[in-house]
Amino acid sequence: MTTFWSMLHLLTATPLVPVALIGLTWGILGGALPGISASITMALVLPFTYTMDPAMAIALLACVYIGAEYGGSIPAILIRTPGTNSAAATVIDGYELNRQGRAGEALGISLMSGVVGSLFGLVMLIMLTEPLSWLALAFKPTSYFGLGILGLSVIASMTGGSLVKGLAAAVIGLMIATVGTDPISGVTRFTFGVPDLLNGIEPVLVMVGLFALTELMSQSGSSNVLKLNASVRIRLPSLAMMNKLKRSQFIGCILGTFEGLTPGGGGSIAAFMSYNEARRWSKTPEKFGKGSEEGVAAPETANNTVASAALIPLLSFGIPSSNSTAVLLGGLLMHGLLPGPRLFEQNPQVIDSLYLGSFIAIIAQIGIGIVILPACVWLVNRPRPYRAGFIFALILSGIYTLNNSLFDLSIALCLGIVGYLMRIAKFPFLPMILGVVLGHMIESSYRRSLVLSGGDHGIFLEDPIAVGFLLFAFGFVIFSLTRELRDARKPKIQEAHS
Amino acid sequence: MNKDIVSGLVLLVIAGLYHRASGAIADSTLADEVGAAGLPRLLTIALVMLAGILIVRAMFAPKPVAIAVRTKEASGDAVEDDARMPRALGFLLFGAAYIALLPLIGYIAGVALLIGAVALYEGAPRRWTVPIAAIGGALLYWAIFVKLLGVNQPVGSLFQGLFS
Repeated sequence: MTTFWSMLHLLTATPLVPVALIGLTWGILGGALPGISASITMALVLPFTYTMDPAMAIALLACVYIGAEYGGSIPAILIRTPGTNSAAATVIDGYELNRQGRAGEALGISLMSGVVGSLFGLVMLIMLTEPLSWLALAFKPTSYFGLGILGLSVIASMTGGSLVKGLAAAVIGLMIATVGTDPISGVTRFTFGVPDLLNGIEPVLVMVGLFALTELMSQSGSSNVLKLNASVRIRLPSLAMMNKLKRSQFIGCILGTFEGLTPGGGGSIAAFMSYNEARRWSKTPEKFGKGSEEGVAAPETANNTVASAALIPLLSFGIPSSNSTAVLLGGLLMHGLLPGPRLFEQNPQVIDSLYLGSFIAIIAQIGIGIVILPACVWLVNRPRPYRAGFIFALILSGIYTLNNSLFDLSIALCLGIVGYLMRIAKFPFLPMILGVVLGHMIESSYRRSLVLSGGDHGIFLEDPIAVGFLLFAFGFVIFSLTRELRDARKPKIQEAHS
Repeated sequence: MNKDIVSGLVLLVIAGLYHRASGAIADSTLADEVGAAGLPRLLTIALVMLAGILIVRAMFAPKPVAIAVRTKEASGDAVEDDARMPRALGFLLFGAAYIALLPLIGYIAGVALLIGAVALYEGAPRRWTVPIAAIGGALLYWAIFVKLLGVNQPVGSLFQGLFS
């Protein structure tokens, strides 16, 4: 009953409904722009949330995430270019349907499958998050240290590419986190006499610099050949069609939940796995790749399920499993909110508005998804040079809102260069961002543990939770290292371009 | 030189600079067992080790076997990013100029110049649409950030008298 009144209060006394709708709209528009991923769309809006009420800010970010996952399918279907990475699997059959003159139908299937996936993910989120978060009540400082190390090692191992590069990126992230005032003694570190550095480098600057600026730089000079058909209109699937799609949607829901819970999983892996499984279990597998409705439904259900399910490990333990959830964690920390059971106890309005805002966004997606399509088409069809100028100005204006500081802008630009060089050298971003975000927790738990033990490192072995986390972390690193060494022995094939 | 060897060397330089800067961390009477310089020391060691592994692995990695392919296009994002590096870094110069000029010319003029300059740099045709889009964009952002969100964007010393 308390929850009911709390929800009613949120609906009537707070701007949750407009916040959810704005977030959803922004998410769909951002996700529809090729090259602007869900995490970039969220990072762009992050500075705006700085002055907002924390509950509304977190709801806004979650709704942006939901919208971006659907938005990514629009260019995937219309021009064979996924707006977000997780929409890559939708290209296969979505574009085939478009070529057969059934673009509206493909967009409708994508929209409704997204709604089904998001609703399923939300139910999982509501059911699993709070019970899991109570496990964290048994955590001591040693356990939090183990959890932080586990999070970093899992992400460094699972983000693809080289483990060594992933770990190096995590270490650099931790180094950035040490800038500012020491959490225990109050001594300043790496501030070089610059007062702006006393509070450290905010994670939001690292996220915007690495995700948004690096992407803009990478797209610099690329040609603008994208043109969407402006006459396309969404056709929602009939009940008979939805009935036909239920098997592939079910597969998408299950695999999406699984991947959302897995660190480093993410929407793209879930989408491709669901596509393969939907083909395996389909009554008409021969249609896959030639314009199968199930081939659109499965990946779209999966990547939208991930958008909600990925919040489970984030809200329970504070461990983000993807770039987008890392941005959401940045939003939580920016407002002084720490994930875990205390978030549920001390800030229930944040959780309630997150759940209710997500629900509003998911349902509104059916209407807004249809209405906003012409705007998406218009936006994607704008010449890329103007788009680049507008996005760059938006990024710089947004960063300035954080602290009204030009110094923040300089830091973000420097991080843009760092991100670009990392991209060239194939270093993953996520471990670095996690290092920045988790750095404070890892250091303060480590040092608090040693204060409690009088400097004896044996305290970490006395806590079974910490031992478990550290063993898992060690196992992940060894497993990935073995795999990498095995792969390194194989001669690589280099393409010699003629 | 192999890209991983260069990366490893860059990491070593970062570790060296970080180690040097950590030497300036002051001792505190409030310090715990580890101290404010404890984690930086550990991180330096970790980065040196990782850089070493990266360099050694790159030196002893089997050489790639070349095969001929028909396409003339280079494959992979990193190759494209490599070729576009000067252009991409030039892009950020507009950001640096924006930061330098903002206190002088203020938000509206700064954003208009930024949008216009970036659009031209990215290949927009030199037509009247560029200044129109730039000024329109600047006014739109001014309305959103200054009027709607109440952010104190700089007015600019040149226009201080005009708005104060």
